[in-house]
Amino acid sequence: MSPKSESGSNTLVELSSQLAAAVEIAGNSVVAIHARRRIPSSGIVWRDGVIVSASHTVRRDDEIPVTLPNGDSTVATVAGRDPATDLIALRIKSAKSYVAPRADSSSLRVGSLVLAVGRPGRSVSASFGIISAVGEGWRSWQGARIDRVFRLDLSVYDGFSGGPLVDASGAVLGLNNSALARGTPMALPAKAVDRVLDELLESGHVRRPFIGVAVQPVALSASLVKQHQLGHDSGLLIVSIADASPADKAGVLLGDVLLEANGQSIGRPDDLLDALSSVETGGAVALKLLRGGTIKTVSVTPADRGAGE
Amino acid sequence: MIASMLGSARSASSNLNGLAELLRQAVVEVRSGDSGSGTGIIWGGAGLVVTNAHCIRRGAALQVDAGGKWREAQAIAYHPQHDLALLASPSVSGPLLELRDPESLRAGELVFAHGHPLGIRDALAMGVLHTVTRDRTKSPRWIVADVRLAPGNSGGPLVDAEGRLIGINSMVVNGLGVAVPASLVQQFVERALSQRAA
Repeated sequence: MSPKSESGSNTLVELSSQLAAAVEIAGNSVVAIHARRRIPSSGIVWRDGVIVSASHTVRRDDEIPVTLPNGDSTVATVAGRDPATDLIALRIKSAKSYVAPRADSSSLRVGSLVLAVGRPGRSVSASFGIISAVGEGWRSWQGARIDRVFRLDLSVYDGFSGGPLVDASGAVLGLNNSALARGTPMALPAKAVDRVLDELLESGHVRRPFIGVAVQPVALSASLVKQHQLGHDSGLLIVSIADASPADKAGVLLGDVLLEANGQSIGRPDDLLDALSSVETGGAVALKLLRGGTIKTVSVTPADRGAGE
Repeated sequence: MIASMLGSARSASSNLNGLAELLRQAVVEVRSGDSGSGTGIIWGGAGLVVTNAHCIRRGAALQVDAGGKWREAQAIAYHPQHDLALLASPSVSGPLLELRDPESLRAGELVFAHGHPLGIRDALAMGVLHTVTRDRTKSPRWIVADVRLAPGNSGGPLVDAEGRLIGINSMVVNGLGVAVPASLVQQFVERALSQRAA
């Protein structure tokens, strides 16, 4: 009595051995990072001599012991961290042969079979599940805008954060992180990793422009909209201004209502963050404000939050 | 393309039905006194059943259910460190599971847990192999799997896609299923039987 189908071939056995092969392939680019107490975390050899991982799992900044896929030990240094996407870039001596094969994630859909691969110690471990949702235009609670993020129906176990999410062929789709969305298993897609990594390797940080205000959305009365011929009926009330911040220096006042930034209407805090991130380094943004019933325009030069961290 | 993908999903599903049927005949439910039930695996063809030691309350009346009939059973050997117990219930019979060599296991391959979680008869759970932990002599100590287990799965089989026994499900640690390797179970049974013969 064996669970074989009539045709003699057993799809289950084939699937099982394909999954194991996928883990083996992916495991060739997964390292263990020993930079916190208890369980080591995982990292992916993303480019020649460059490892990416989850920043929150790397609790030190120099002389970071790393176990390579073949069991050898080496030492990595931090090339940069991006708190907003919780991504860290580490440099090691060239490890070209371990660079992870990348998957084409455009064909990925809700329900696609995926594996999470980790190295929370010497050997590779895996968990299995499906893509449970693909979030478009997701914003992490630290403020990073990510075009696409994968929500996973699988377990990201202790030590799995920083390891790869792979497809059934073992090619890398993204980087797993259980802390990105407060415990919900998520993966940062490979494209987003590349984008953040480019900035980290170039300047050591990711630019996060800020002007130093706290805001709250408020509705604008119909008469105000009519009087000033506004294209939208909500704005952002400035409820606090940090001392010596760009907004403070430019003369923004408590109680101002923000209507537009560089001609784009602003109704939600996300609109402001989007407008700021599209401003070039050193450039200014023209803010249209409602103050005491009249429209004012002030020019603010955003500062770079990422540089200070 | 989509039709062929659905075809393979269907074929995998009918393979699963076969696997579930095999396991249903190869396990028993174990009841000890008034405490909750566990699962046992029919072993060796002479009315022997292997289960977890923690499923057995010492001194309490012991029964096993194979094919819908409760029968008396006796515990004839224990291995507390490996959480194993060997039971004898002469009229119990069923298909014997082939053993899987733990050295050939690969992380990521499909695994299946069969048992009676929370009193639900013959429930099958699918997952993947996580890792094999080893003792100081490098021999396999625990099989760790990404598979959902509940009380009542204890003593039941963890098998591969071909229905070969990987281990006996024994506990849940950090959400992961932990099983005693089949090789240790075999050693335990051989030792227990030779001691009885001596």
